[in-house]
Amino acid sequence: MSQPIVDVHQLRKTYRSLSLTGRRRIDAVRGVSLQAYPGEVFGLLGPNGAGKTTLIKMLLGVVKPSGGDATLLGQPIGSSAARSRVGYLPESLRVDRHHSARSALRYYGRMSGMSSAEINAQSDALLKLVGLEGRDRESVRRFSKGMYQRLGLAQALLHDPDLLVLDEPTDGLDPVGRNEVRKVIDRLRDSGKTIFLNSHILQEVEMVCTRVAILAKGEIKAIGPIDELAHRDEQKLIVEVPGEGHGDRAPDWQAIFAPGEAAEMDVTEVRKTFRLTIAVSGQDQINGVVDRLRGAGQSISRLEVRRESLEETFMRLVETDSVASASAEIESERPSAVVGDGGQA
Amino acid sequence: MIKPYLAVIADSFHSALASRILWIAFVAIWIFLAALAPIGYHEDYTTTFRWFDLDNGTQMKAMLARGLVDPKESETALGRIARTFPDDIRRKLRQVARGEDVRIDKGALADSLNESLDDESWYDQQAWQTTVRLRELRELDEIPEDQLTTPQRRRRARLRIEAALPGVFTAMSARSITLSYAGFDFPAFFLIGKEQFVSLINQFVVPIMMDWLLGFALIFLGILVTASIVPDMLQPGSLHLLLSKPISRTMLLLSKFIGGCAFVFLCVTQLVVGLWLIAGFRLDIWNARMLWCIPVAVFLFAVFFSVSLLAGLRWRSPILSIGVTCMFGAFVLVIGFIGGYFDTLVRGPDRIAQMSFDDQDVVVTTRGGQLKRFDSASNQWDELIEGDFRRRDLIVPPVRIADGKIATARIRGGRFNLYGSGSLDLLVLDGSRQWKPNPGLRLPNGTRRLIVVDDRLLALNNAGLMATKIDEAISESGIGQSDPPPSSGESSGEVSDSGTGAEAVPSPESIGVTAWITDLIRMQGGATEAFHSILPRGVTLTDPVRVEAVSGADSLIVYSRGRLMRLELSAEADDSAVGAPVTGGASHEPTATLAADVLMDDNSAARTTMAVSGSAVLLARADEPMRWIDAATLETLLEFPSPQDQTVVAAEGVGQADRFAVLTTDGLVRIATRSGDDLVWTMLPQREVTAIEFDAPSGRLAIAHHIDSIDFVTLGSDATPQTTVDRTIRPSLTSWRSVDRYLITPLRTLTPQTGELSQTVAALVSGKTSFAIGGSSEEDQEVVQLKILRPVVSCSLFLAVMLTVSSVYFARRDF
Repeated sequence: MSQPIVDVHQLRKTYRSLSLTGRRRIDAVRGVSLQAYPGEVFGLLGPNGAGKTTLIKMLLGVVKPSGGDATLLGQPIGSSAARSRVGYLPESLRVDRHHSARSALRYYGRMSGMSSAEINAQSDALLKLVGLEGRDRESVRRFSKGMYQRLGLAQALLHDPDLLVLDEPTDGLDPVGRNEVRKVIDRLRDSGKTIFLNSHILQEVEMVCTRVAILAKGEIKAIGPIDELAHRDEQKLIVEVPGEGHGDRAPDWQAIFAPGEAAEMDVTEVRKTFRLTIAVSGQDQINGVVDRLRGAGQSISRLEVRRESLEETFMRLVETDSVASASAEIESERPSAVVGDGGQA
Repeated sequence: MIKPYLAVIADSFHSALASRILWIAFVAIWIFLAALAPIGYHEDYTTTFRWFDLDNGTQMKAMLARGLVDPKESETALGRIARTFPDDIRRKLRQVARGEDVRIDKGALADSLNESLDDESWYDQQAWQTTVRLRELRELDEIPEDQLTTPQRRRRARLRIEAALPGVFTAMSARSITLSYAGFDFPAFFLIGKEQFVSLINQFVVPIMMDWLLGFALIFLGILVTASIVPDMLQPGSLHLLLSKPISRTMLLLSKFIGGCAFVFLCVTQLVVGLWLIAGFRLDIWNARMLWCIPVAVFLFAVFFSVSLLAGLRWRSPILSIGVTCMFGAFVLVIGFIGGYFDTLVRGPDRIAQMSFDDQDVVVTTRGGQLKRFDSASNQWDELIEGDFRRRDLIVPPVRIADGKIATARIRGGRFNLYGSGSLDLLVLDGSRQWKPNPGLRLPNGTRRLIVVDDRLLALNNAGLMATKIDEAISESGIGQSDPPPSSGESSGEVSDSGTGAEAVPSPESIGVTAWITDLIRMQGGATEAFHSILPRGVTLTDPVRVEAVSGADSLIVYSRGRLMRLELSAEADDSAVGAPVTGGASHEPTATLAADVLMDDNSAARTTMAVSGSAVLLARADEPMRWIDAATLETLLEFPSPQDQTVVAAEGVGQADRFAVLTTDGLVRIATRSGDDLVWTMLPQREVTAIEFDAPSGRLAIAHHIDSIDFVTLGSDATPQTTVDRTIRPSLTSWRSVDRYLITPLRTLTPQTGELSQTVAALVSGKTSFAIGGSSEEDQEVVQLKILRPVVSCSLFLAVMLTVSSVYFARRDF
């Protein structure tokens, strides 16, 4: 395997503060290790307060680590050499109001050490790429948040960096805008760029990332390809049985099945319909469950076989109180089609 | 790589240009400049008399009264002028002659003189032949009548009036400036010439503009606009992107700082260049040095902006940045005010102005109008005459007149009125009576200086030079008698105050006109019973006047407004004068003869310093080279520039060795020794020197420095003499002086002296490092050294500290 572009070993960050109530110590990042390889789109997932932004700030040299070490493109993090080859799109880009898109590109290009000729040569193509063509001389005062994000993406790409660090790149964009950004990322990935993506939109990560790391409470909970993280070999059989004809008592479901046939079974009752969720390992087991139910005279109103989604993987790995609130946020951000139509109670 | 930082600076420029407040400031500046542009000036002959030209009202009244009542004056210039006044003034003048306390409005006198400018029927060539005519008048007199313009004719008339009333008028420039606006003359005009006008603009107007327009308004505006630069930069979406770029944090912050100064630079440049062009095109003052205001104003802003920068870094709020910067500005202002008050009320009044010695005893006068003696036992200065709070009184420099006897005088209100109020008595300090002042002989009114020549005591005032016997002066003060004779005033130097200064004069019925005239002569500063005039006929003293005795010879070197003279004192005439009743200043025979007389070229009104040593005279007139003059022939032997182009504050002859000690405005003393056609300067180590005095009996030069310390220095005889400090006076600090040294001075040292930057501007714009304030007589004048480097160093250090702290904070902090 080639040398990692991002190589992090036991990176730690502790914030200390002094207040009237005494000293406070917050361990934002607790010994994180990860690697991102050339040409990879690496996703960093985690709930709010997980330490994602702190980790990115450390990689960019904005925040100094409390311990551990890391390199970007083989250079120590924070060094000018490392930073000169990184393009960064911050979460909420803020451009001074006296700028237009073009003058902002000129300014940030100069900051990256580019000459005027180099900046001019790149600007037109990039403005076209991010969809700001024709509005490049307009004051950024009139820009929407989505336009700011596109401008941010353009400036991140301006000096043709080897590594792109994108912090919530589709934040604030409408679906069309998100789709366009995703296409840009796909194109960049295809052109061999390494992308380090920080996002809490799971669908987006699932769609563009080749590998992800899930961060919670400052620690890496899991890292690897999405398929490996999700228990894709484990399936769940969801069977809905109408409740009419059972009287006041629910059937003894375990008695219907042979021993071990539905060892992991969850039964819920929704609007006089019983929903049985049974962990199954193959088609034979599915057939067996259907046969037993039919044999017991139960009618089947709906049947679905599901694999574990990234969200479920995420939720399984981040089982904390804070995750509960984070999941609500994710729920609200998520398109309705992310989870199967059955939903959860 | 400097490119990224240039981009930050350029971006700050763009940011400033995008600010609405900047454009409002621009428009305000343009309106201000447009409003100022129609200003103009024209230069005319100084003709019209103003009430404030009448420098000495008491003397003028007495002179005019004498001109009216003295039969001898009836056909003189004085008598002719006196008769031109309207009846009511003449009536009042006659009342003055009778000794009545009459007030005559100076404005009425001036108006009457102005009427005489156009009607010269009072003029008589014969009568004016005996007056002292200035060169300008002589030149105008030579121009044929039909070739004179009206202004020239009026100028000539004014000069003739001034010649008839010598010593009465303030020395004025021949031509004066009148300012106009859009072609209309200002109602008030400046009675100063073009050169003084330029000095006024450079030394006062530009620094005041710097203080208020640039130092206050624009800087406050600048802080309002730039306070958001750092908090804006620290916004996460902006800062994280900037910090991810391959640039140094320190340089990023400094670039933002420099860029922030762009606002003030843009505004100040427009304003100053605009003012410079207006001064050039409208007032013919093309002074490129005025452009120094631009960097100084930007520098001043940088000091305040550095505070705003640190506050912005710490609290990330523009409002807090502005608040903290304003509080800092207020603190600097308050410290500046307190420091100024301590300078004026604590340090200033204690500064030694003149010194006199009697063996180990030291008596000094201070700038605060005190007369003090050093008490070795308590190591402190004892006040012999207290200074008054308003500093109106003037102490005549003390001189040693005999063993254990020092003479001086106190002119009440002398700083505002040349003749003071009340009569003036000689005060003799007696060593055997704890140096208490003993009032004695009546001094001529307005005596500014006492000079000892052999056994005679000379009193110098603007009316002339008068002498008495020292023995008589001592005996009249009651020293040596068991009961001192009753004096005209109280003891301890207190003198009576009789309003206009006119003594109670017996009624005209009891004494004749002669007695009136005697009193009038006394009132106008002429001879008294004891002091008789020694000036030969044809010699009148006009400010600036300097008189120095030539040691070992009964002669005096006298400088009077461009005329240098050597007067020989004759013993027999002196004897005849002593004790003889005086009947009139002009009536008795002069006791001095004019042995040498030299007229110098222009610049005669310039502030002048003179010293005599052996056979040499050192003469230093402002703005021209110093002269080394032969005391016998008054021939100029050598001309040389003053050291480091500094203004000479005082000069002292060092013994008989043809050597001089010269004190300059930088507070340093240098010894000037002539070596062939060259002059050798030797600098003495003392700093912050306020006065120098050569003590002939001990052969030591006394150097007063650091307010009230004195070093007594013996000089070797070489051309570059070795100096030995024989004795030092280091008085203990008084309570307020302790507060000043241990609290105020450290506070002032730690606080950037932004207020003093206007002095830096004054020096840069005018090209001069000092200026003299006060009267034209050397004793009254105080030469102020502009603080040029101190505020720059103080502000630079503060700026460096603030930027270092800000840079370290920004570089080390996690954002």
